[in-house]
Amino acid sequence: MTRHGLHRGLRVFWWLTLLFLYLPLAVVVLYSFNASNSAAHFTGVSLRWYYRLMGNEALLAALGNSLLLAVVSSLIALLLGSLVGYGMFHHRWRRLGWLVVLIYLPLVLPDIVFGIAEMAFFVQVERLTGWLSPGLGTMVIAHVSFQIPFVALIVYSRLVGLDPSLFEAAKDLYASPWQRARHFLVPTLRPALISGAFLSFTLSLDDFVISFFTAGPESATLPIYIWGAIRKGVSPEINAIATLMIAAVVLVAVASLLLGRQRAGRG
Amino acid sequence: MSGPGVLAAPGGRRALGETRHLLLTVAPGVLWLLIFLVLPGIYLMGVAFMTNGPYGQPQMPLTLDAFERLAGYGILGWSPANLYTLLRSLAQTLIATLLVVAISYPLAYHISTAKARWRPVMLLALVVPSWTNQVIRTFGWMNLLAPGTPLAGLAESLNLIPSNMGLYPSNIAVTLGLVYNFLPFMVLPLYAAFEKLDISQVEAAQDLYASPLRTFRHAVFPQTLPGLLAGVVLVAIPAFGMYVVSELLGGGKHMLLGNLVARQFGGGANWPLGAAGAILMLLATFAGLYVMRRLGRRLGGGDEVVI
Repeated sequence: MTRHGLHRGLRVFWWLTLLFLYLPLAVVVLYSFNASNSAAHFTGVSLRWYYRLMGNEALLAALGNSLLLAVVSSLIALLLGSLVGYGMFHHRWRRLGWLVVLIYLPLVLPDIVFGIAEMAFFVQVERLTGWLSPGLGTMVIAHVSFQIPFVALIVYSRLVGLDPSLFEAAKDLYASPWQRARHFLVPTLRPALISGAFLSFTLSLDDFVISFFTAGPESATLPIYIWGAIRKGVSPEINAIATLMIAAVVLVAVASLLLGRQRAGRG
Repeated sequence: MSGPGVLAAPGGRRALGETRHLLLTVAPGVLWLLIFLVLPGIYLMGVAFMTNGPYGQPQMPLTLDAFERLAGYGILGWSPANLYTLLRSLAQTLIATLLVVAISYPLAYHISTAKARWRPVMLLALVVPSWTNQVIRTFGWMNLLAPGTPLAGLAESLNLIPSNMGLYPSNIAVTLGLVYNFLPFMVLPLYAAFEKLDISQVEAAQDLYASPLRTFRHAVFPQTLPGLLAGVVLVAIPAFGMYVVSELLGGGKHMLLGNLVARQFGGGANWPLGAAGAILMLLATFAGLYVMRRLGRRLGGGDEVVI
């Protein structure tokens, strides 16, 4: 094969892959504007499914649950995770192998094992004590447990990347540890803290399996609601809500690309 | 960082202060993980050795019943159903991983040879679909593979499926869903490896009239191996634990170990059996991580493997 032929072949392969990746999403978007409620036939453009969304209280409640869960869990994970990340860094010369194992555990655990372990535990605790009945509370607990490692590792890697002399300078400048934390650590770590919180937030919003097994009857999140609707039989409304979620992701992607371009342009 | 001996208090007090510092920073998060992750994990492992109660709840005495059930021994004698599920999980993981590798190599190479300003855009284009919710992505495939869709019609006209049947639930639909889900996890580490690739080795091989296959084997493959191993870890382990894709595109006849486990905590519940399945899944996960780590070390460049 000539080199030219190889490159042409690769280009075709690239576009076929993109087709493969975007076709399922495109179908969802297309059917969300379908006038008919048949999944097999497209009869005309209509916004009726979007109008229907606005009156769907269960769906709006699920959206509220998703956002509340994501905000609360990522704030708790930000606090606990950044402390762990800082501790890991500050004491990195000690034997902290056990801590590394503990931090990596939620990352390598299959979602399904994570989810049922949490569920079995919550059910047992509730049986024994009456606490931790399934609902948003148990979901927050489970979500924080998988978010902590991400925040800790982001904060840790930012600290490792800093010039060590900065810490000496901060030591000379500020007498108390609290002053150091306020005027040096937090401002220096701000990008890491923001990306840790943002990652936690999106991981929580995106999670289905762990939420599914720790949710109570009143605490369905958006993915759980969609799952239920799919299982009950396909309603065209799912296409509309799914399209809105896809649109949100695409917006974030374009924004990140533009931000990256801008930063590269400045640098 | 507090350098040793800088303005230090006498040794003993200083060590005590450091320990207190470690506890104050690390303890809240560690306690959280111990109580809400490690403890539930230990409890789940314990459940696997308990007896299945009349309502699916675990109860005493301790027994190995759940593991016997998992191996297929029930009240009605031995049945291969669970064994098939396990083999199906292994086969699906293997096939999906191989397919993902085969697709990712040309893609990663293609991106690494594109103009520098286009590379971030191309990577983003590959990753964006995986940012959408997994349930929605899989629902998209349900729409595409349902009876009456062009793809199903094509398969029908080729006599691949009976008429008025969709392309799912089926094993092929599950494989497709797995490949779709995990493709970016292989392309990204492979692309990182291609970016660092020493192109002079490849050119040397070509100058010596090596065939493309030999060039790949001797000049490209060894250099991209760390990326490949990282990708395999990122693809195979979650694929083996898959729940959503196999539940929606596979169903009862084509389920994977994850679905078998989940079922034991739902309707016809048998917690100990589910817990035993979870232990099997954990063992497979850790064994997979261990093997990839060893491989990475032996073949060199092991430090770059993500784990």
